[in-house]
Amino acid sequence: MIVMGVETSCDETSVSLVEDGKRVLANEVLSQIDIHKEYGGVVPEIASREHVKGIVFVFDQAMKKANINYKDIDLIAVTAGPGLIGSLLIGINAAKVISLNYGIPIIGIQHIAGHIYANNIEHDMEFPLLALVVSGGHTELVLMESHYDFQKLGETQDDAVGEAYDKVARILGLPYPGGPQVDKLAQQGKDTFSFPRPMLDSGDFNFSFSGLKSKVINTYHNLNQRKATISTPDFCRSFQEAVTDVLVKKTNDAMNLHNVKQVIVAGGVAANQGLREKMRQTITDVPVYFPSIKYCTDNAAMIAVAGYFKYKKEQKADDYLLNGFSRLELK
Amino acid sequence: MQKSWKRLAIDTATKYVYLSLVLNDKEVDSVYEEGLNNHSVTIIPHLVRMLERQQWKLTDINEVIVGVGPGSYTGVRIAVTIAKMIGYLNNIKINRISSIALIASSVSSGTVLSCIDARRGNAFLGLFENTKTKLTRKTQDSLINIESYLTDLEVKPIVTYEGRPNIEKIIHSDLLEVVSDPTALIPNYMQITEAERNKCLR
Ligand SMILES: [Zn+2]
Repeated sequence: MIVMGVETSCDETSVSLVEDGKRVLANEVLSQIDIHKEYGGVVPEIASREHVKGIVFVFDQAMKKANINYKDIDLIAVTAGPGLIGSLLIGINAAKVISLNYGIPIIGIQHIAGHIYANNIEHDMEFPLLALVVSGGHTELVLMESHYDFQKLGETQDDAVGEAYDKVARILGLPYPGGPQVDKLAQQGKDTFSFPRPMLDSGDFNFSFSGLKSKVINTYHNLNQRKATISTPDFCRSFQEAVTDVLVKKTNDAMNLHNVKQVIVAGGVAANQGLREKMRQTITDVPVYFPSIKYCTDNAAMIAVAGYFKYKKEQKADDYLLNGFSRLELK
Repeated sequence: MQKSWKRLAIDTATKYVYLSLVLNDKEVDSVYEEGLNNHSVTIIPHLVRMLERQQWKLTDINEVIVGVGPGSYTGVRIAVTIAKMIGYLNNIKINRISSIALIASSVSSGTVLSCIDARRGNAFLGLFENTKTKLTRKTQDSLINIESYLTDLEVKPIVTYEGRPNIEKIIHSDLLEVVSDPTALIPNYMQITEAERNKCLR
């Protein structure tokens, strides 16, 4: 079964073709990072304009790469939310046109489900499994007992991890997107600032990063005012240690409580080297899987994989009233 | 041109969603409906029902006419996205048309100032001359304060912000522009984004 994935929820225009939820025939990503860099973050109106400009090109590239005909496609899976509404609707309408033109069923996919399913490309999912979803918009622990069955164990009460990373990067004057820069610098530093580990012993699986973020920012400003020299690598390392300590401990606790067969880490922050190392060192009883970097960041292959398993389970497509939502729960 | 030439016209640049099917220069079906900010959801269902009524398939369409704005609402991007995709998938010709010209075509005769509201007293507007069968452009589309524009104008035009387009008149006008590369088609935003403006001011 060949599934076409379409993802336009933020600043990547992506189209993929994936066979049987596993074999990636094509995964084209037109990234707008260089454009939004100049603004220090994604500008929604510019993102929408770029999606319209690039959309046909990306479809065409993906089809050429996969070397198949539109008639060979069995299902179209498109991100329905959460995301930037003006951007989502471009992918959704383009996908609807293909569906109508060739009579291919269409299905809407929740973006985070896509991030989780990115893992299946390289490692078969085995249940029950625990997924830690970490990105610019999300921080949550999800338990899955079977395909397309998501139980949220906990989530951030305020900022997402990626968001905190970006803010810290900004005060340090690092270029956008800041997360990977902080991670890189942290590799060369030491944990000298001993920042707080928020909610480490809260006894639940929720997170909070806004307090830590403020603490980090205040510390920086105070040192700056006193004209003290700040070691950026040490500063990054200290922040990263605080964040990853919490993420790893909570994941480990949830794993022990639910007796899972595997742990998967999903979302843009899953690319973080510090998190990868600590996760692998701490969780040794069951395998811990991370998608390759290209499947951690937003891409349509993950949407196609999620679409395959959703359709297999529900045996039903959406109709053409399929809508986009800036907020959409993982279900 | 073939014996039965099928055209699809589509515009979502205003608060109305507009679709039309044209067979050999005659409109056979159309939708002109005020949307509640949900064009982007209802447009394809409208298209499906309209095609069903005429027993056409999307792949039967020989040519697409698309309203490209001016404007920068989500709506203007939806029609353009759909038109691009249809043009690309079926390798057919796309014609772009000013959404302001589409509005102007709704008036049966006279000098028409056709407008799309751009807030704060401004509008995207253009002046047109209308007869029963012909629509001609008098000025290029522009973004301007509507009051001062009207004061400066010597003629007193019929001012209109809406109206069901007369697609047959549009087809016979010289206002359609052939899109040479559907892949590259974008709306006529007419303005850079606020973020880009602010960057220039920085
Ligand atoms: Zn994402």
